[in-house]
Amino acid sequence: MKNEFLKQISAYFPSVDYCSFRFVNKYTNIVSVTRNVLEPIEILEDEGVMVTIIHNGGYGYGASSDLTREGILKAIEEAKKWAEYSSGKLVHVPHPPSMRTDDGKYFTHEKDSWAKESNKDKVDYLMQINKSLKSKPTISNWGASFRYNKIETLFTDTNGSDIRQNISYILPQLVACAEYKKQIQTRTFGGHAHARQIGYNFLRDSDLITKAEQIANDAIELSMAPNCPDSKMDALIAPDQMILQIHESIGHPLELDRILGDERNYAGSSFVNLDMFGEYKYGSDKLNISFNPNQESELATYNYDDDGTAATKKYLIKDGILERPIGGFYSSQRVNQDYVACSRATSWNRPPIDRMGNINLEPGESSFSEMIASVEDGILLETNNSWSIDDYRNKFQFGCEKGTVIKNGELKSVTKNPNYRGITKEFWHNLSMVGDETSFSILGTANCGKGEPNQTIFVGHATPPCLFREIDIFGGE
Amino acid sequence: MRDYFENIAQKLFKHIQKDEFLILNFDAEVSNFVRLNKAKIRQPGNVKQISMSLSLSNRDKRNLKSYVRLNGSFDKDLSTLIKTLNYLRRELPDLPKDPYLLFSKSVQSTEVSDDKKYINDEENLDYILPKIASLDLVGIYSSGYIYTGLANSLGQFNWHSDYSFSFDYSIYNENNNAIKLNYSSKKWNNEEFETNLDQGIKKLKILSQSPRTIPKGEYTVYLEPSALNEIIDMMSWGGFSYKANKIGTSPLHLLSKGEKTLHASVSIDENIKGGISANFSSDGFIKPDVINMIKDGEFTESLTSPRSSLEYSVAHNASSISEYPYSIDMRAGAIDDDAILSTINNGLYISNLWYLNFSDRNNARMTGLTRFGCFVVENGQLTAPINTMRFDDSVYSMLGENLIGLTSNRELLIDSGTYEERSTSSARLPGAVVDNFKMTL
Repeated sequence: MKNEFLKQISAYFPSVDYCSFRFVNKYTNIVSVTRNVLEPIEILEDEGVMVTIIHNGGYGYGASSDLTREGILKAIEEAKKWAEYSSGKLVHVPHPPSMRTDDGKYFTHEKDSWAKESNKDKVDYLMQINKSLKSKPTISNWGASFRYNKIETLFTDTNGSDIRQNISYILPQLVACAEYKKQIQTRTFGGHAHARQIGYNFLRDSDLITKAEQIANDAIELSMAPNCPDSKMDALIAPDQMILQIHESIGHPLELDRILGDERNYAGSSFVNLDMFGEYKYGSDKLNISFNPNQESELATYNYDDDGTAATKKYLIKDGILERPIGGFYSSQRVNQDYVACSRATSWNRPPIDRMGNINLEPGESSFSEMIASVEDGILLETNNSWSIDDYRNKFQFGCEKGTVIKNGELKSVTKNPNYRGITKEFWHNLSMVGDETSFSILGTANCGKGEPNQTIFVGHATPPCLFREIDIFGGE
Repeated sequence: MRDYFENIAQKLFKHIQKDEFLILNFDAEVSNFVRLNKAKIRQPGNVKQISMSLSLSNRDKRNLKSYVRLNGSFDKDLSTLIKTLNYLRRELPDLPKDPYLLFSKSVQSTEVSDDKKYINDEENLDYILPKIASLDLVGIYSSGYIYTGLANSLGQFNWHSDYSFSFDYSIYNENNNAIKLNYSSKKWNNEEFETNLDQGIKKLKILSQSPRTIPKGEYTVYLEPSALNEIIDMMSWGGFSYKANKIGTSPLHLLSKGEKTLHASVSIDENIKGGISANFSSDGFIKPDVINMIKDGEFTESLTSPRSSLEYSVAHNASSISEYPYSIDMRAGAIDDDAILSTINNGLYISNLWYLNFSDRNNARMTGLTRFGCFVVENGQLTAPINTMRFDDSVYSMLGENLIGLTSNRELLIDSGTYEERSTSSARLPGAVVDNFKMTL
């Protein structure tokens, strides 16, 4: 159907300076078992088209789920109407690309396809995981779910470009809560961190039954553990918390549309300004951050963004120096900066804006045991459960599910409610050791919110564990 | 749109087999979105979307649900829906029984229709753009229809349609300090908009003084309704949910168990009648007009979904499966607007809080930051804006022992959120004067 769609849609191109059609078909399937009971299975199918027109100094879009001839013509009419209205009133007049992309393609490799596994088999697996989660009587709440998303995008424009991409990803979520003296502690696996472009085999290979038992034991141990101490100490941050740290205090502040003020009414601005690129020392020499849309199986791997820009790896921060922003083809025109292929939309019904793709912290040279051994007084922080940062992406406070005290180079007791706070401008200068290739974890989060109208999108982060010196750590009440 | 939904539902129900029960939930929206930055247009456009979910269950209490996007073209959509129905029917026998499946079996049809269009977006923008030309304004103007419907194979039909607009915006000064404003209604009025804008401009003038960095510590603060709304919103992350309170993941589980109390002046209702969201649940139950969730500082009633009612053998109050409030209504207090500054005397005036999250969920302790329009108050006067500060405090302190009082005036805050679709949530709240409010960074 899709190739025919591209052929048919070309006939609809209006006579304007530039027009693109972006057709999106999304399929979502969520299977959840909570406390040994199957929740209503969710199947969501969504499709529609966004027509974007740039004409005579104006810009407008029309988006519709009506894919009949009349529906598409109406969407074109709306896009034309808004392009006409906005002519002479735009904060920036976009200059469309002149390049044509022939037969652009990208497909996620699903070794074992989600569709081939029956609902019954998925439910049976989740029931087994539930049993493993409820392995002890003190577990007060438990559950597990699998979420599968498949997004097919077709893009064509008046340059004659023709791009087809199929991205699919899987997200497992396990949760176990334990209660002790009316205090509840929660431990999870998956959730915010473990979404990947991968097949159903990922769920089998991850040995989720053993993982379930581990997090249940962790929750019980945490429920009886003391609160994390309040102190300035070293923090060894595990990959499933590092991704949040990278996301909030590097990814968002480097988004060019924030720097240009588009997000000031909603998601916020940035402490980064245009003069900093090429000069500003963002962190220690060990800090290397890439925009890498080519990392296999990572969540935001693709060959083209939603404006049709070809995607390649570029460094954002190299040896601690800020090199370039996360700005797409059109944003970069506003400031004459280099661009990355980061113009992305949540679906057919929202326009592309500057988004993170895969924002990765490149591996260093330290083994995990070397990092532990180097800590005299510190804490290992695992799995994010709370995040808060100011609208300039500077003052942050993050919480984790589990803290493990490190004393004289050895892991010691577990502590509950570990939190830490800091200031982005200072924090990354305290990066003293970066984990090596063996500890480099490919992770991703499925729900990053931004934009007006609002959009959530999936974002990849790959990172090793990292050691930071002298961090302000504290616990709960 | 209403007739389209009713007609297609009737056709689809003819395909139901004996012992099957089908419930349809309909959502549609036709919206214009005009994004602004630096008082000029950034991205303008139109979105039309129609969707329907089909929930099929059988006598064995097996159930499966599918959500599909529709074209709005009757024959094509009917064909898609019949295919979806057949898929659900095929899959149903392989699924386990759902012990918590509960749908309304008594037919209660309702209809609230607001199909009159009073808004011309281009005319409004023609009025707005010259008025704001000298300002550094950023935000979004959105408007249009929102439709919600329900039909089931027993003959129940519910419909809710609404036409409204929201202009959610901020105005900035040269120091990057800003005031956040919102003008939302069903009918545009130039004078009302100008009053809204002028109030913001007046406040922005006070922000033009050099911002002050305040030390961490405890302050007497006034939280405007929009700042208090952020705290209530965090409390709502499971706080009013029967299930979350039962399993202990609710931030208010100690309040719900009677182990903690709030200040006696705190009463919070779910007031569907006073809000703008539909009064029927996706299961077909009609929501009560008002649910008293907290009364005089004590937890009185949870939001309980039909699923929770079967799991825990309690009565439900037609709450959604998330057991999240949609129309918060907090009782007013006794502090008049002109007494707010004198009540603070020396402290902080906080118009807006931002990016809240829990630092200790068990104890309802949360953190977040000051953002738009926050000032130092000295001797009962606003004296200077403050640089961003982080707070970290517990609900049991802020709305408990440290609550000085609530204002007699309340504001209706309509959620300007547009994730997936335009929100119909709202909150009617007073402001709050709080002592010993903890600033940490």
